[in-house]
Amino acid sequence: MPLKNTITGRAWVLGDNVNTDDLHPPSFFSMDSKRMKEGIVAGMKNLNASEEEEIDTQGLIIVAGDNFGCGSSRETSVRALIASGVQGVIARSFARIFYRSLVNLALLPLVCRTIQAVVQPGDTLTLFPQEQKIRIGNDRFFDTDPMDLHFHRILESGGLIGYLRREMSVESKEHGRGI
Amino acid sequence: MSKGYTGEIIRQHADGRQEGNYIAVHVDRVLVHDPALALLIKDFEKLGTPIWDPGRVLLTVDHFAPPSTVERANLVRQVLEFSKQAGLTHTQVYQGICHQLFVEGTGVVPGGLVVGSDSHTTTAGALGCLATGMASTDILYTLVTGNTWLCPPDAVRVNLSGKMPDSVMGKDIILYLLGRSGEGGYLGNALEFYDHSAHIGMDDRLAICNMVVEGGAKNGLFYPDEITAAYLKNRDGAVETGVWDTLSVPKYKKEETIDISFLEPQIALPHSPANGVPVKDAVGEKVNQVFIGSCTGGRFRDLEMAAQILKGRRVHDTVRLMASPASQKIYRQAIEKGYIQILVDAGAVILNPSCGPCGGIDKGILAAGDVCLSTSNRNFKGRLGDPAARTFLCSPLTAAAGAVQGVITDPRDFL
Ligand code: SF4
Repeated sequence: MPLKNTITGRAWVLGDNVNTDDLHPPSFFSMDSKRMKEGIVAGMKNLNASEEEEIDTQGLIIVAGDNFGCGSSRETSVRALIASGVQGVIARSFARIFYRSLVNLALLPLVCRTIQAVVQPGDTLTLFPQEQKIRIGNDRFFDTDPMDLHFHRILESGGLIGYLRREMSVESKEHGRGI
Repeated sequence: MSKGYTGEIIRQHADGRQEGNYIAVHVDRVLVHDPALALLIKDFEKLGTPIWDPGRVLLTVDHFAPPSTVERANLVRQVLEFSKQAGLTHTQVYQGICHQLFVEGTGVVPGGLVVGSDSHTTTAGALGCLATGMASTDILYTLVTGNTWLCPPDAVRVNLSGKMPDSVMGKDIILYLLGRSGEGGYLGNALEFYDHSAHIGMDDRLAICNMVVEGGAKNGLFYPDEITAAYLKNRDGAVETGVWDTLSVPKYKKEETIDISFLEPQIALPHSPANGVPVKDAVGEKVNQVFIGSCTGGRFRDLEMAAQILKGRRVHDTVRLMASPASQKIYRQAIEKGYIQILVDAGAVILNPSCGPCGGIDKGILAAGDVCLSTSNRNFKGRLGDPAARTFLCSPLTAAAGAVQGVITDPRDFL
C-alpha cells in the first residue's frame, strides 16, 4: 500500500509539550472504541480546544509544537485518535514513543517547524507526504522534514503489523527455497 | 561518533540490517504489562505466530491489580489466558510494579539490551544496560521476532560528583536535572550517569533512570561499578559483566557535571515533572493527599526514609497518606524492618504493590481542588484524577514531612 498522495482536514492547534494524558486522560483506557473516542473529546476540552458540547473530531489534523505526545506510552492515545477520525499529525518535534506509535498504526506524522506561527484553528490543511509539503488553504505551502527510510517503509506497509507480515512472507519464501 | 556506551550496546546487538538511520537489534529481555498486552491479543490471534522466546518475556499484571471494573477484570482474564497459551514462563500477577519486578528477576544485566511496553522501562538502565520503552505494537513486533529497530542516540554524559547530603535522594537529583533541562530537554538522547564516588545506592539510581524519559530521553544508564556488582551478586549470586569492563571510554555529544553535595531537596510544581524548584521555595502550600509509592518512589530505601520521618509522629489530620511498596519482596522486607508498622502507626493506608494512584488507575483518585504530594514520576493535569487537582512531585522524605505538617515542608526540618 503506497502512501496516500494527499490528505485534507481541519487544523486542531496545540502548544508545546502536550502529553498523552492531556490528549487522552488515562481513565478512558478501554478497548471499547466509543469510550476511547470520548477520551479524545475529554482531552480536547482539557486542552481548551473547545467548550462546545458537540465536538466533531472527524477529519481533524493536529498541529502541535515541540515534544508532542510526551509521557505515557499507552497506545490507546493513538488508537483513539484514529478511532476519532483524525487524519494526520504535524508537530515541531515528537516524543519518540508517540512518533513510533503513529507510524506503527499508520497515522501519518509530519515534522514541520514553520507552520505553527501561522496556522489558525479550523484552517483547511492539505498534506502532501510524498512531496514533503503542507498547504494551508489554497496557496500557502510549508516544508516538512524528510522521514527516515525505516518509518517510510512501515507506513508503506500500512503500519508495523503489515511490515512484519511482509518480513515473515519474505522469510518463509527464502526458507522454502533453501529446502 | 557521539553515541556513548549506549551506541556500543546497540552495535553489539545489531543483526546486520539497516534502513535509513535505524538498525535492527536483537533484544535480551522483554517486559510487557497487562494493559499493553490486552491491546495486542486480537492482533496476535490474527497473526497466529508464536512468541519467539517465552522464557525471555516478563509479563506482569500490575496496572489492573487487582482489577477495579468488570471490563478490566475481563482484560486481566484474557491476558492470563494468553500467557498460558503462549507458554510464557515468567508471568507475575499482583506481585508488584513491572519495572521493579524486571530488575528483581535475573536477566537484566550490564551491557544488555532490553525493551518494555511502558515509557518507564528506562528504569532498568540503572543496572548498566540499554533499557527503553515502546508502545504495544512495537512490543508485538519484538515478541514475534526477538528484534527491534533502534537509531543509535546521541549520548550525554552526566557526571555526579560529591557526597549526597542526607536530605537528598535520587529523586531530588533527577528533578533538579529535569528542572534545568526542561521537558523534552534531552529529546531522543541517551543519558549516561557516572557516579564518581560510587555511593549513590541502587534504589536511588533506579529512581533517576526511571524519570529520564520525562526529559524526552530514549534511555538512561548508570556506568556499572561496585554498587552494580554488589546488587547483581545479591540478586543472582554472580556478576555478569557484559561489555563494560573491556570498553574504552566512549565519546559523547555533551558532558554535564552536577556536584550533588550542594543539592537541596527538590519539588516539581504542577503540572510538569520539569517544573523542579528547591522545596524551600514551595513551603507552606496546603496538602490533603500524600502518596508514597510507584515505580519511582516505592522501593525499600523510599519506605525506609519515609519511616525515618514518620517514626513516632502522626499524619496531619487534614491529610490522607497512602503508601504502596513497589513489590511484594519490598513489602516483606519493609515489614521485617518494622517500617510498615511505623507507617501504619502514623496513620498511613498501605496499598498493595501496584500502579494504583500513580496513573489515576484506582485507589486515591483526586477530586477537583485536591492537592497531592507524590513520589511518583508524573504530575500532568488530570493524570491522578480531576483536571482541577494539583500534584507536586518530590522524594519520600519530602512527602513524609508534608504528610506530618499538612503543608509542603522542607524535610531538613526533621533531619
Ligand atoms: S507506577 Fe505509575 S509510572 Fe510506574 S508503571 Fe505504574 S502507572 Fe506507570
